[in-house]
Amino acid sequence: MIKQLAKVLLIFCILGFQNIKAQATVSGTIKDGVTGMTLPGATILVKGTKIGASTDMDGKYNIQVQSDNAVLQFSFMGYESSEIAVKGKSVINISLNQSAESLTEVVVTALGIKRDAKSLGYSITEVKGDAVSQVKQTNAINGLQGKIAGVNITGNSTGAAGSSRVIIRGNTSLTGNNQPLYIIDGMPMGNDTNGSAGTYGGSDGGDGISSINPDEIASISVLKGGAAAALYGSRAANGVIMITTKSGKNQKGFGVEFSSSLLFDKVNSSMQDFQTEYGQGTLGVAPTTQAMAFDNPNSSWGAKLDGSDVVNWDGVVRPYSYVGNNLDKFYDTAATYINTISISNSNEKSNYRFSISDLSNADIVPNSGLNRKTFSLNLGSVLADKLTLSTNIKYIRENTQNRPRLSDSPGNANYSVAVLPANIDVTTMDPGANEDGSERATSTNIYATNPYWAAYNFKNEDQKNRIIGSASLKYDILDWLYVSARSGIDEYSINTTFIAPWGTAYQLLGSMYEQETKYSQIDSDIMIGVNRKISNNFSTNSLIGASNNTQVRETLTLSGSNFIVPDLQTVKNTENQSTGYQYSKQKMSSIYGSFEFDYKQFIYLTFTARNDWFSTLSAANKTTPNNDLYTSINTSIILNEAFKLPEWIDFAKLRAGYSELAGGAPDPYSLSLSYGIVGQGHLGQSLSGISNGTIPNANLVPYNVDEVEFGLDTRLFGGKLSLDLAYYAKKTTKDIVSVSASQASGYSSSIANLGEITNKGFEMLISGDLVRTQNFRWTPSFNFAYNIGKVVATNATNSDINLGQARTQNVQISHIVGQPYGVIYGTSYARTADGEIIYEIDSDGVPRAKDGGNKQLGQGVPPYSMGLTNSFSYKNFSASFLIDAKFGGQIYSGTNAGAVGRGQHKVTLEGREDGLVVNGIDDATGLPFTATVAPQNLATYWGRISGIAEEFVEDADYIKFRQISIGYDIPIKALNKTFLTSANVSLIGRNLFYINRSVDNIDPESAYSNGNAQGLEYYGLPSTRSYGVSLNVKF
Amino acid sequence: MKKVIFKIMLLLLVLTSCDNGYEELNVDPTKSSQIDAKSKFTAAQLRMSGERYEAWRANLIYQSTMMQHIATTASYWSGDKYFWNKDYASSLWDRYYTGPIKAIEDILVQLEEEEQPTEMIAIARIQRVVMFQRLTDVYGDIPYSEAGKGYLDGNLTPKYDLQSDIYADLLKELEESAAVLSTGTSEWGDADLLFKGDQAKWKRYANSMMLRLALRMIKVDAAASQAWATKAIEGGVMTSNSDIAYIQHSAGPEGINKNGNGEAFSADSNPRLSKTFVDFLSDDPRLPILGARRSDKSTVVANLKGLPNGLDSDLLKAATGELNTDAYAEPNRAIITGEDAPMFFQTYAEVEFMLAESAFRWGLAGGNVEAHYNAGVTAAMKYLSIYGTAATISDAQIQLYLTTKPFVAANALQMIGNQYWAATFLNEYETFANWRRTGFPALVPVNYPGNETNGTIPRRLTYATSEQVVNPINYAAAIAAQGPDILTTRVWWDKL
Repeated sequence: MIKQLAKVLLIFCILGFQNIKAQATVSGTIKDGVTGMTLPGATILVKGTKIGASTDMDGKYNIQVQSDNAVLQFSFMGYESSEIAVKGKSVINISLNQSAESLTEVVVTALGIKRDAKSLGYSITEVKGDAVSQVKQTNAINGLQGKIAGVNITGNSTGAAGSSRVIIRGNTSLTGNNQPLYIIDGMPMGNDTNGSAGTYGGSDGGDGISSINPDEIASISVLKGGAAAALYGSRAANGVIMITTKSGKNQKGFGVEFSSSLLFDKVNSSMQDFQTEYGQGTLGVAPTTQAMAFDNPNSSWGAKLDGSDVVNWDGVVRPYSYVGNNLDKFYDTAATYINTISISNSNEKSNYRFSISDLSNADIVPNSGLNRKTFSLNLGSVLADKLTLSTNIKYIRENTQNRPRLSDSPGNANYSVAVLPANIDVTTMDPGANEDGSERATSTNIYATNPYWAAYNFKNEDQKNRIIGSASLKYDILDWLYVSARSGIDEYSINTTFIAPWGTAYQLLGSMYEQETKYSQIDSDIMIGVNRKISNNFSTNSLIGASNNTQVRETLTLSGSNFIVPDLQTVKNTENQSTGYQYSKQKMSSIYGSFEFDYKQFIYLTFTARNDWFSTLSAANKTTPNNDLYTSINTSIILNEAFKLPEWIDFAKLRAGYSELAGGAPDPYSLSLSYGIVGQGHLGQSLSGISNGTIPNANLVPYNVDEVEFGLDTRLFGGKLSLDLAYYAKKTTKDIVSVSASQASGYSSSIANLGEITNKGFEMLISGDLVRTQNFRWTPSFNFAYNIGKVVATNATNSDINLGQARTQNVQISHIVGQPYGVIYGTSYARTADGEIIYEIDSDGVPRAKDGGNKQLGQGVPPYSMGLTNSFSYKNFSASFLIDAKFGGQIYSGTNAGAVGRGQHKVTLEGREDGLVVNGIDDATGLPFTATVAPQNLATYWGRISGIAEEFVEDADYIKFRQISIGYDIPIKALNKTFLTSANVSLIGRNLFYINRSVDNIDPESAYSNGNAQGLEYYGLPSTRSYGVSLNVKF
Repeated sequence: MKKVIFKIMLLLLVLTSCDNGYEELNVDPTKSSQIDAKSKFTAAQLRMSGERYEAWRANLIYQSTMMQHIATTASYWSGDKYFWNKDYASSLWDRYYTGPIKAIEDILVQLEEEEQPTEMIAIARIQRVVMFQRLTDVYGDIPYSEAGKGYLDGNLTPKYDLQSDIYADLLKELEESAAVLSTGTSEWGDADLLFKGDQAKWKRYANSMMLRLALRMIKVDAAASQAWATKAIEGGVMTSNSDIAYIQHSAGPEGINKNGNGEAFSADSNPRLSKTFVDFLSDDPRLPILGARRSDKSTVVANLKGLPNGLDSDLLKAATGELNTDAYAEPNRAIITGEDAPMFFQTYAEVEFMLAESAFRWGLAGGNVEAHYNAGVTAAMKYLSIYGTAATISDAQIQLYLTTKPFVAANALQMIGNQYWAATFLNEYETFANWRRTGFPALVPVNYPGNETNGTIPRRLTYATSEQVVNPINYAAAIAAQGPDILTTRVWWDKL
């Protein structure tokens, strides 16, 4: 595959760059007829030829004409076209007027097919690359946060190299993957998550989409609904995000572009507002011996901080006073440099763009960071008359140093820092190692790792090498008939090294593993298309095609425990070694067709069909089919063409679509029972057994997603205001779920197509071009989305499905029939009918809240999300800021539960001197009581409260000042004496502050994994704010 | 033009004729659709021996403490104080059905399909009996006839069979299997970790198991008990310590190789020898082999003190002034708690004690009760050397013991029962079952505040709680037949 690509590239290089000698040059500037602003990117075409050019950043153009009789056609999206005869002129300046009604806006739809926006009977959102490159994120997709209605992006608190969760129009599968299909330049891209943290810890291994350099992205199309994504068949259940990378196509002549951004991340320590009045100790007394400090390292139930001399965990006597915020002391200010340089060129026959990018990040956890280098080449060429080739290839090399450990405490520096009492300075724990090379333990709790040991002695690094490439050929057989073929590959390998070193307190002899993960996806398709008028009133734009997709995954693991020579960190140097190997390969073939008809260009009807054949559903002697047919139909009616509408309505389109798609084809090899080798034999005998813990189901099929959608798209008041509304209702049936079996059957479960979910939602986008003068422009945009997911069926008995449990063991994320997707379910207070809390009074007088059993305490997925972007430009200045918000979801805060139990939370301050007054209902009598919890019993009282999950499930609502950029275009005049053609410098900021936040001490966006169990928080990386500067120059 | 279109259409069809080779592709190259039964059998035996999970919970935390071999102040050792931890109680269930039972049912089907020699099938059937006997003795009525066949029969919710029916079938299985076996080496060969395929030993093991099951029924069906005991003894039971059914473990490289009890001891420093057990072992050469003082590993007999059952650290302090349990004896970590220790399923000593009982009750096995008793004690002391040479007890020591604590015919059943209890230390499944049958030793229950059984020693462990959700109809039927799913309900053969 790679070889083939290389050959194609070579041929291209030989053919490319043949300039046609021109006879005369015409130049000029194209401006807006009203505002006089220049129009960059407008098109100039010599009529009747293929010779064309486009305007540069300043609206200027140059074009060669071969005869004086030539006529130039000027056009720009959203403007009325104009034609002017050259007649010997060498300068033609022209003003274009905005078109009163909608114009042909071309959008990229499924399979890369460009279509007239008004013909689409579904919602599609296209954003330009600067949406993600203006303020660059290490994971570019996070740049879309809050920008697209119905696209819910959650960046996790897992570090620079972490993953994101992207959900479009709600979760469609109970336990399967819910993230969209990513298509990059027509090529499906792997987005596997390489490991994430769970109840008992772990790290976020990053995902596939994070490899893409934000500077490379020209545009992103989001196919939200089934009708839009239908041509992707069984892969489209969760929507599709199509990324088009930059090419040299719009470049005029040779150009160089350099962009640089520097972003600092600083821990937002003010968010964590713990008490600073009482210090380490127990029963209201500070430690009197080192042993006491060592035994109760995280207990903030000591005395009032008074500056007296108190012994610490290390035996050193220090003042008993607040030492300042340990988050600021432990975490570094992270710095991320992203530098991209690109060269590009284009002429009538060919274009190219080549770029090199380097991303260097030193993350907030000391000794951790990320480096990503991207090499990207994009070539386009007219090979012969009517035959065009475009190819692109990217090589991405990513080194991650020490992915931080999250959630549970072992090896997790975030935990160890967050739990320290107010008088303990984390820097006293530095260095993390003793002289003999073992961990410098800070307490008797071996599972709470010295944070410096976790940061500097643990190793968790990986290197990812990735190639994404594709080539496509298009042949225009006739004016109205084309054939195109495309083939591409996404291939990567990840080498991971994890070391818990010799001397680690909870694992004295240490352990390690080396893992190599390989992935490849090869995708090819071919299609022929027709685009012609059938009669005066009818025309069609249709295609049929076929495609083939192969994916291979391979994992090799070498692991060992108990280092023999303490400081020799190689698997060979361990006592117990083992190997693991996994391999899977799957193929899918498809044929598809899309048939669009229009009547007088105001009623459009599109019908699509796709049939997928699955290797994962194929087995000898199988009686059920291994393929399935997926269809969709959609229509759009241009109301302003069909009816006479008031003048202020420039454009109005009604759209409706219905689709029957699918998702979640089973994993390979899951149809039949198989046997594998177990362990490494026993005393010379080999061992084997049944590999399946789940009873295979030969009749499994992908689940179905049926969706209906309606929408209205309008432009009003001469283009000043646009409104786009969408309503959808989708239903997942036959979702693949696990059916619990009695263990006496020998298996824990079987799998079957039994799950059912519905999602209903509403999306709105209002955008304005409200003020538009020569010097000033204000373009606000507001998007809003509401989605409510409901679990209709879970399995044959409709029992709950547990998606994930919090480390505190008293709360989990569950699917409960009749409830929203993924509710928070955990321990609660017992209450009277009036809602008063019932207590049992202990013999020592301490009230103990009665266990009310497990209850549904909230929902992990917020139903409301919105974003407001305001962009301004004044002369050479521009400014843009984004505020986004989510409402209606809840989060269980393990950090707050722990902080209450440890006496760290501010709520525990009350009654430290005189006792805490507690009111409630006495379980024994059923009558109200008032009890005073003595100061020495507060730890017991709050310790019990900390086990009641209900107390720590809080609203995750927030309004966040997400992003700001203030830019300045250095005037061309100032650049005249330099070789530069344009230059822009911007100040950027991200996640600067919350305008509103419901939950104390933690960031409401602090998930530790991008899996389906959302709504749990437990010692991830602390929240950060980012600020920096970016520079973009062209010459 | 039309030709071009036609060609393209043809190309499309070729590209997508669509699922060629898909059936072959969807076969995992790292797995096999079938595998040699021998390696499956070896793995099934190791799974039967068990892993840390149920060895820790069912065997040690529950049964060893209820049987007062072990005592501890740690509150999570539920059996010491008769608490009810449902997850611990069901741990054998949780592991056995999805482990050895699933494996042996699969192996039996394969052996039949491949028309393997009948002796191989007979040995696998005996092995299956051993597994189910352990399960039914712990829980009573259990899924048996339909168990482990989730894939084979598609039955996700197997019914519970009556223990009386299970026993009848297990005995029939043993009888039929023993009849097939003769002498020589089975095709299983070295893949058989118990006897390296020695058919004669398997035959004696089958008959010894038959004797165990026969005596188990003494309270509910004395006639059947006698009949099966007679049949077993006539068929030929174990005759020496070289007939012992055990598996030798190794300390790695992976968990499956390790002795589950040993793994639990590696992870848990709380267990001590019970005062009841240490007191019984006074003047017994086994004491310094089985126990050592926690604080300094001393095996000097004078230093070996047993910890009373039913204490927490407050009660311990109140009763003895001790702040912790370091002064008490723990299972001797130098000899018997290794991850590479052997795991015993049935010993020759147990067989001799059963012969002694059969002689006492029915005059079977030659009728000499004392001879069988003495042979049992001797074997019980001798076999410990399988743990290693440090566990060697000399003939002189044994003789001295038998002289100091001679057999008293008047107390025959009690003496036999007590010795059986001492000989099955660490095989607590058997200890618990035999104690329920015989009532020996006469253990004094503890009565810790808030215990689950009203201060009586539990009579069974409880089913997996998941059964109430995933197999509710059969679970309800089982409770209707056997009684409530609690610790004090008696299983069929334990009915008074």
